[in-house]
Amino acid sequence: MLPDRKFYGKRPMNDDFRETLTLYMQRLLPLLSSLILLLLAYMPFFPMAFHPEVSLICVYYWMLHRPDVFNLFSVFVIGLAADLISSSPWGGNVFELLVLYVLVGYLLKYVNGKPFEIMWAGFVLSCLVVQLAKWFVLSFYYSQFLPLGMMIFSFLVTAAVYPLVSLINVFVQNKLMTDEA
Amino acid sequence: MKRRRVLFIQLSQIRQLVKKFALVILFLLAFVMMMVNKTDTVLIDKTSSVATSVVGPVIDVLIIPARLAADVYDYFKGMSLAYEENKQLKRENRRLRLISEHARALEIENALLSRILNFSKPPAEKMTTARIVAEEGDAFSHSLIAYVGKNSQVEKGQVVLNEKGVVGRIDKVAGAYAKILLLTDINSRIPVIVERSRIRGMAAGDNTRKPKLVFLPLTAELAIGDRIVTSGVAGVFPPGLPVGEVCKIDKRDVRIRPYAELDSLEYVKIVSFEREEEASEDASGSEILRETADE
Repeated sequence: MLPDRKFYGKRPMNDDFRETLTLYMQRLLPLLSSLILLLLAYMPFFPMAFHPEVSLICVYYWMLHRPDVFNLFSVFVIGLAADLISSSPWGGNVFELLVLYVLVGYLLKYVNGKPFEIMWAGFVLSCLVVQLAKWFVLSFYYSQFLPLGMMIFSFLVTAAVYPLVSLINVFVQNKLMTDEA
Repeated sequence: MKRRRVLFIQLSQIRQLVKKFALVILFLLAFVMMMVNKTDTVLIDKTSSVATSVVGPVIDVLIIPARLAADVYDYFKGMSLAYEENKQLKRENRRLRLISEHARALEIENALLSRILNFSKPPAEKMTTARIVAEEGDAFSHSLIAYVGKNSQVEKGQVVLNEKGVVGRIDKVAGAYAKILLLTDINSRIPVIVERSRIRGMAAGDNTRKPKLVFLPLTAELAIGDRIVTSGVAGVFPPGLPVGEVCKIDKRDVRIRPYAELDSLEYVKIVSFEREEEASEDASGSEILRETADE
């Protein structure tokens, strides 16, 4: 006996649609969670000098752990969002994250699958290089050397909060994403 | 059929080419954006305003739980300090009453002398209080987003203060939100004057916590602790607003320590000059003061 036409015709389609939607949402999760963390970092509860560059941590984390769902386009979108939110010149954050993208590409074979400390050390190194690169480009943009002290402080704060932001990313990866995504 | 295949091959080739050089293209795009930022400020201003009007409400919503927690903490902290604070406020109130009476006498005297000298007053200012929603500062820029309300008369360039002194100026206004450029930002320039020696200069931010004092004459007489106030030159900022005090004097480097604690701002005041019509309406109010002075 054939099932009811209504049931036969619609239920599987709905399920397919839901599954596809869930899959796409899960694939977008790294980008979305990074954007939310980026916004949260701008909340006015901490002194301005203590604002970490959350975008760097997110890009580094997702490129190491889920490069299949976090591509160059995601990096560009996060950089663009950071540029729009902050008052630094447009393109500065995009440039910074693209440099990180290149660096992580080289670092991948040395840090991927290694203990957390090695990954953290890799981030500290990458963070220093990209912040110096951004400092250099923005100094060129403003036609004067920007104060290095603030940049170094920002680097230290970002390096220090890496475990905490990574923990949030681990939660997103393990609890909200499936292996199929 | 052949044409479609050729077209398909061309499209796939273009796609492959873009994929191959995507990184280079995006790097170039970043540099182009920087160049546009440097030249075409209208486009950047409009897009940044749209971004501020989008980001402002989002952060405003995200902030609610954290703000609630902070309020509860402040409430209990305030309760424990209420007795001491009350005693201190009573003392301060007595002192302020004396100052207020003195200020009133000076105001009347000032009005009298101004009338004798036929002195034309600078336009009166109007204050708007705004709540800080987001701190967009990092090592390379120092700015804030404030909620100013939909019907406020906040405009680009207006001065922003807190209870201690100048905080910065309005950079962009987008709907009910405004972006404030702090006086420590590298793009900030505020005309100032040394209160004691009346030497004019410019407070120029450089992304450090202590802005520079530039365009001073070589023979400028300066001392550590000298008060720096707005000069009112260029007509953007009202004169006499406290900015900070001189904290470092080198041959080529004079630095100011801002009075306002820029790291922990919750509410700010935005100052706008009143329009001429409004000023004339208020003039009737000042007549009362004059009559008091005549008496």
